[in-house]
Amino acid sequence: MELSKAGFKGKFRISASKNVRYLFLIGLIIVVSTFFTFINPKFLSLVNIGILLRSISVLFLLSMGMTFVIITGGVDLSVGSNVAFAGAVGVLTLQATGNPVIAAIVTIAAGAAIGFINGYFVGKLDLSPFMITLATMALARGLSLVLYKADAISVTNEAFLWLGKTSVGPFPIVIVFDILVFLFIKSLLNRHTFGRDVFAVGSNLKAAHLLGRNVNMVLIKVYVLTGVMAGISSIITIGRVSSGQPWAGLNLEFDAITAVVMGGTSMAGGEGSLVGTIIGVIFYGIIINGLILTGANPYFQSVAKGLILLIVVVLDQVQKNRSAE
Amino acid sequence: MIKTNRILIALIMCIAIVTGMAFANGQQEAAMAADGDTLDIVFINDGHVAPYHVAWLGGFEDAIKAYNKEFGGITGHWLSAEGSLEKMIQQAEATINQDPDVMFVNAINTKAFEPLVKKAQDQGIIWIAVHSPMESADYSFTLGDVTNGYNQGLALGAYYNGEANVAIMLGQAGNPSGEARREGILKGLAEYPGVKVIAEQPADWDTVKAQSIAENWYTQFPELDAISGVTDAYLYPSIAIAENRGIEDVTFWGYDGDIPILEEMKAGKVGCDILLSGTREGWAFVQTAYKVTHGMKVDKVIDFYTPPVMTEEVYAMVKANGFPSDIEVYMVDKALEVAEKGYLEFGPDSVK
Repeated sequence: MELSKAGFKGKFRISASKNVRYLFLIGLIIVVSTFFTFINPKFLSLVNIGILLRSISVLFLLSMGMTFVIITGGVDLSVGSNVAFAGAVGVLTLQATGNPVIAAIVTIAAGAAIGFINGYFVGKLDLSPFMITLATMALARGLSLVLYKADAISVTNEAFLWLGKTSVGPFPIVIVFDILVFLFIKSLLNRHTFGRDVFAVGSNLKAAHLLGRNVNMVLIKVYVLTGVMAGISSIITIGRVSSGQPWAGLNLEFDAITAVVMGGTSMAGGEGSLVGTIIGVIFYGIIINGLILTGANPYFQSVAKGLILLIVVVLDQVQKNRSAE
Repeated sequence: MIKTNRILIALIMCIAIVTGMAFANGQQEAAMAADGDTLDIVFINDGHVAPYHVAWLGGFEDAIKAYNKEFGGITGHWLSAEGSLEKMIQQAEATINQDPDVMFVNAINTKAFEPLVKKAQDQGIIWIAVHSPMESADYSFTLGDVTNGYNQGLALGAYYNGEANVAIMLGQAGNPSGEARREGILKGLAEYPGVKVIAEQPADWDTVKAQSIAENWYTQFPELDAISGVTDAYLYPSIAIAENRGIEDVTFWGYDGDIPILEEMKAGKVGCDILLSGTREGWAFVQTAYKVTHGMKVDKVIDFYTPPVMTEEVYAMVKANGFPSDIEVYMVDKALEVAEKGYLEFGPDSVK
């Protein structure tokens, strides 16, 4: 009885701490949005909200995949390059077949293939996720340059471009797609055995193994999922710019990691939430968009972004210290 | 706990100060733009990593101030995409929503921006494609990269009287401007069958990458005579490493007209440079924006005048070895003057 009371209290404390974090981030979103609107009233215009949503749509998908990886205690540095690689495979398939459905499937499969390589080396061979994904980051970017012959390829197939290009009024259709993906992924993480395994692997790898979880397979699935997200992201990117681009996705991995950490997912693994990631992505997107719209000096933009991340990380530590006390 | 709280408060104060400073600039410009007859110019650049970029953006800012002082109501700011296509697209979309009068866009890849050019034009914004021409853009501001590269290659070949081992440092793979410069340099060198290109390597416009490439070349190719670069940014580390290693018989051939590199020419290390000059180009942008919004005649493709620069000694030598005398060459002192003082060619007086 006492034990269950303590368990309840502990759970309540974690949940309360998570809520405080969300409230803090939402509060920050409100404050900075008000500030940006004060400087430039166009910030809250429907057109700008549409631009903001479109600009975060790819980061949103990549960050969802990255949340899974980070919960397992890993990191995936290859996602940005994978966006370019999967796009190259997809665009060339489209050129060869003229069939947008086949091209889309191949694009996602190409992304998943890089994910599988990551997952196999991290899961089966127990190699460092940082080193492996650093290697595949270079590999995927290099392959993309080779496949594209370092030059962009124009895409005119309207069906293939549809997801990234179409808007209803100022609102991009891709956001509806992102929400559907989110609902699916969230149920996978929170209501499915796979999700519990992901948390178990991140909390204590050895314990998860002893409890009979197939740790290797969980890690492979997590990295494949992230690769799939990169594949979908490349379809969106191609639609957005009506072309396949060899340098697409450059440095997006760092934006995704930033958004995930801002959202409260612990780099140590075993802890994190997709709702937090969404709030992190929105907050990050608002900062970038607002700084552009207000004509802030670019020298200060990086400083402001860095400070915001620092503040969130420090806040995270403060909360953890309080919980520990 | 008290300690972490203090750190948190300190960080919040830092962020308040930094954002305050950043926005003071933006607000001032917004207030100015709200007044009657105005000209608002935005320059979106692909990155901000090389000394050329610093000079470029500095020249742009100085020109905005000078034109505003002279004519009033002229505002402008620049953005850097830090090499990220996604960031650049977001910046272009947000800028279009801001409704400036003129946008200069140095696109990472022009094909990605075709949809946005139309969107900007539908809103009455003048789109000026920078360095890589775009058919759909209202204007293209070009450098004549192939011709410039050709002149550099030609001068190099003539300097060595048609017998040399050359290594070329390239731009980012697929970047149209870098590819055009490479094409020109190779064409120029090809005029001399005795000139061998023993290495070609992209350094992605990055001085740090250029450093490691130069180090490898000096070790790998003891027979190396000259390093040709598609940007002056590569020459800084290449010259420094050569000096540190006591290598004296390698010459350097640049492209950009950076003031420190022009000064190096006097020391005899740099054979030829191409006079772009970031400062000059920044001033030229504001002059162009002023012209196109004030009904003055401007060609759809604006070919920025970029002559080769040499010392008198080098020029005499290359001319004696067949460098064509109909190619106008600036001597270093003249090049330094126009590179430093962008207003001489492109200041408010030039549009009166």
